[in-house]
Amino acid sequence: MKQLLALLLTTGLVAQSTDPILRILTQEMERSRGLRIAGGSDIPYFFEYSIDDVRSYLLSTSLGGVIEELRNRARVPQVRVRVGDYSFDNSNYVLSDANFTARYDSGLLPQDDNPLALRQQLWLMTDRTFKSALESIGRKRSAMRSVNAPADPVPDFWKAEAVKIMLGPSTQQLDEAAWKTRIVEASGRFKAFPTVLSSSVDMESIVNTSYLVNSEGTEAKYPDNIHYIRVRASGLAADGSTVRDHVVFHAIDPLRLPGDTELKQAVDAVGRNVTALAAAPEGEAYAGPIMFEGAAGAQLFAEILASHLYLPRRPVANAGQSSRFTPSELEGRLGSRILPASFTVVDDPTQTEFRGQSLLGSYPIDGEGVVPKPLTVIENGVFKAPLLSRQPIPGFTASNGRGRLPGSFGQRMATLSNLFVKSTESVTGGDLKKKLMEMVKQRSKPYGILVRRMDYPSSAGADELRRLAVSLGNNAGGNVLSSPLLIYRIYPDGKEELIRGVRFRGLNLRSLKDITAASTELYQFDFIGNRGPFALMSIGGYVFPASVVAPALLFEDLELEHPQVEVPRPPTVPPPTLSSAAAAN
Amino acid sequence: MSALARLASLFLLAIPATADPPAAQTAPAPPLVDILSGELDRNFAALKAKADPPPYFISYSVTEQETESVSATLGSLNSRNRSQKRALDVSVRVGSPQLDNYRRVRGDTPQFTSGAPITIDDAPDSIKRRLWMETDRVYRLASQRLLNVKTNQQVQVEVKDDAGDFGPAEKIVSVSPVAPLKFKGDEWQTKLRKWSAEFGNKPGILASSITVVAQRELKTLVTTEGTRLQHGRTFARLIFGVQAKAADGMDLSASEILDGEDVNRLPDEKTVRAAMAKVERDVLALLQAPVVEPFVGPAILSGRASGVFFHEIFGHRIEGHRQKDESEGQTFAKSVGTKILPEFLSVTFDATKRSLDGTDLNGWYEFDDEGVKARPVNIVEQGVLRNFLLSRSPLTGFPGSNGHGRRQPGREIVPRQSNLIVTSSNRVSSDQLRGLLLAEVKKQNKPYGLYFEKVDSGYTTTGRRGLQAFTVVPQIVYRIYADGRPDELVRGADIVGTPLAAFGKIAATSDKTEIFNGVCGAESGSVPVSATSPAIFVSEVEIQKKERSQDRPPILPAPGREGGRS
Repeated sequence: MKQLLALLLTTGLVAQSTDPILRILTQEMERSRGLRIAGGSDIPYFFEYSIDDVRSYLLSTSLGGVIEELRNRARVPQVRVRVGDYSFDNSNYVLSDANFTARYDSGLLPQDDNPLALRQQLWLMTDRTFKSALESIGRKRSAMRSVNAPADPVPDFWKAEAVKIMLGPSTQQLDEAAWKTRIVEASGRFKAFPTVLSSSVDMESIVNTSYLVNSEGTEAKYPDNIHYIRVRASGLAADGSTVRDHVVFHAIDPLRLPGDTELKQAVDAVGRNVTALAAAPEGEAYAGPIMFEGAAGAQLFAEILASHLYLPRRPVANAGQSSRFTPSELEGRLGSRILPASFTVVDDPTQTEFRGQSLLGSYPIDGEGVVPKPLTVIENGVFKAPLLSRQPIPGFTASNGRGRLPGSFGQRMATLSNLFVKSTESVTGGDLKKKLMEMVKQRSKPYGILVRRMDYPSSAGADELRRLAVSLGNNAGGNVLSSPLLIYRIYPDGKEELIRGVRFRGLNLRSLKDITAASTELYQFDFIGNRGPFALMSIGGYVFPASVVAPALLFEDLELEHPQVEVPRPPTVPPPTLSSAAAAN
Repeated sequence: MSALARLASLFLLAIPATADPPAAQTAPAPPLVDILSGELDRNFAALKAKADPPPYFISYSVTEQETESVSATLGSLNSRNRSQKRALDVSVRVGSPQLDNYRRVRGDTPQFTSGAPITIDDAPDSIKRRLWMETDRVYRLASQRLLNVKTNQQVQVEVKDDAGDFGPAEKIVSVSPVAPLKFKGDEWQTKLRKWSAEFGNKPGILASSITVVAQRELKTLVTTEGTRLQHGRTFARLIFGVQAKAADGMDLSASEILDGEDVNRLPDEKTVRAAMAKVERDVLALLQAPVVEPFVGPAILSGRASGVFFHEIFGHRIEGHRQKDESEGQTFAKSVGTKILPEFLSVTFDATKRSLDGTDLNGWYEFDDEGVKARPVNIVEQGVLRNFLLSRSPLTGFPGSNGHGRRQPGREIVPRQSNLIVTSSNRVSSDQLRGLLLAEVKKQNKPYGLYFEKVDSGYTTTGRRGLQAFTVVPQIVYRIYADGRPDELVRGADIVGTPLAAFGKIAATSDKTEIFNGVCGAESGSVPVSATSPAIFVSEVEIQKKERSQDRPPILPAPGREGGRS
């Protein structure tokens, strides 16, 4: 009884938060401060506990039938323990993420707010993480003896201010039954497109409450929701090559998802595009002016600029040990011009809307408890500031709150939020197109090229990726860009002709310096990013919703190639007749 | 046909009273059977007319799995899940039954099917499209492979077993529906919260959980030989597990799985509580137990331990394809008619047995995955090898399947085990068996013998070559002393040597059988099985110390135990 009372008193002292989950996290964190190994000199100096409490609904449909319908609830914990101090700790080492001990925690937390059951898991995770951190710092020290230490060492972790944020969960409920009817019906519309051989309409709704506490005094609870609908279709051209198109709708608030009419129109548009692509001529090698119309410009920035704005640090490794580390292409280019001088790029997670449309990349606090502010990344074409997590890099002194994804080597990875790209020297979209046509004439080209949609994030299937990997293997070392999905020849008389089967050659970050002109009109592109190649839609794991707002773009000189890929012969058996198609005939 | 119909109705009568009323054989075929057979006929006809090489056999198999589960730890819900899916397996054979695309070349395992997901509702358009695309994909792979197989035939020396690649089978037309899963999730949630609150909360135990899983499986098969089959079953399991770490760092665990054919046939609360208490007692005793010393000497394997041994060490070696494949050990390929076990032992595989002594058997099924009717198969009669487990891939002297072609959706079929049953004619009481052990201990001048009460169900591949890829790890092992000291639990034992040789040293068995229900994993994926055996007395077995983890138990006391001893 005496013991029990003593326990209650201690817990009473440390438990300040009113939220039961935050209270439990704090309680277990406070207890963990006592972690020591007898005779060991390394002690923990930083703890971070977070939980994503997720409810998800997944619906996958095809041609009016349900393939899969899943509801899931999970509490996903993450525990970070740093030993040493801010200047030198267990991170930034090749094996910083390795687990060196037996694992007794299950990886998921119990779903009831039962303090003992929750604390049991947190206790086991903390113990394992602490022991691995000790192992890691020891091995790191030994590795550092084998390599030359830098003259001006950079600390291993940046301190951050204590923050308290309490935001209630959103109350918007997804009407699953109504959406199921709508999605199934929408998927059935592809029956009207005989050329579409494979199609799906999928929906996923993720309602998440994130919790975070750290030993610097930060406490946060905030909603982190995302809902999306993916419409995908593919077919075969007469020569047997696959053609496809997709449309994705995203919303943070389920009420902002598309209405019936908009969804049906989207399905029909994808169906029409696939039909047109199957009949379209194959493109050929091309060098000359290319315009990225509408949101295709924003897609290009999302794919080739955004991922390089984070400058990861090379981890400590034993001399000669490989570390699977990929540096940013922008490493060492701070202060250099990377876009035309008229361009300014601002990353701003504090904006929630652009011209009445919701932005996807808004968040109150990042995964490391840092409140983000607007950040001018590129000013007058010059790279001014990278996106930063709490992983220190030379020349900067603090995180700017972009640590949204679990990263490598004991650090978090910084990602874009809402990226606004503007040019002070813009012309209207109409004039941009005129300019394209003038260039075509000047250079006596039979046609120019217009890109309306890139395959980013990519909806490519396994077979296509395999073929792509083979063709890329033949082209080793080159930069890999997603393929254009909707790309047109535009003739001097203004006639447009859809083509298929071409890829960009040599279009990369460096090409952006040569943007010839940009439109005054800005276009918003929303997407869900991940760490996979081409941000592949089929890849699971941690994701970050983001938006890019950018003008349409004109390049004077870009190259297209028509890769020679092995194309399978068309099927011997004709496709089955579908019920509605039969009824319509 | 009439015999078949009678069997089908018998089967339906055996379904618990909660099931839907039996569907008459004359009822119209279920929509899925119609969709599959329509598209099968269309694709087969078109390919036969236009494709080169033409297929001689196509089958479509759809496995519908409906699963519900609840898991709890320390009084709190861990997870509650429900899933329903249908996987399509397409098989296309080109060439001839004598030589086709399924021929193994240099020990490779051809893989054609992908277990493609199809709609869980009978949406004809969507399913037809998928059938057509999968048939096209599989046909391409099949025809390419046939070319490779034929090329290989020209350069290879003649293979020893040329029984062909596809044996005959009877056409089956039979529909026996399986009632939808009736899982009372809320009730289970309450029960598991209550049970788990009293489970695994003793000092020293680091992790614990209780899980209930209920599953319904409905299989639909149509073939170009005219088979139109729909059948299936339900499964249910209750799983208890605890983990602990000894002071020297050794990772310890104890677990129990209770099976039933249906969630209503799981054991009652009294049995459950007894099993929970036993698992806890075992792990707490292991924490205090001394570490095993290397040992060679006599031992008794409990009926369940013996069942797992027979399954892992014997059962996998009499799977038909292993006799054919040049890259396999072919331990028994030439042994038919010879003595391979002591005379008093017989081994039968009987997939038709639904339960034994009141316990449901996991390896029960009505038809295998090639649509071949299950039947009892005597593999060893009085120590003499008589037969193998066979799919439709024939062996010399064994042209037809005996209903053991099995797979997990998405894998290719190979012969697999069902309900393994070991019977003995040299039976003594448990006490007498112990007496035999002690006598042998004294004869060999050893201080003690071993009693293997429990072994981990083994489907762990260790990456070693061929058949040795299966290991059997003892969980609960006692020393039985010759000088009358009480039995002593030891931890960290690993069985070494050639376990097969140990079977030659089986001297007697008990008169009581025990049943081990489990899930077996091999080339064709996970399939449910069981193994039934009496306890066996072995004159010699060899054990060594298991490699163990070096890290110490948690540094801080468990939450809630801060003030007291941990």
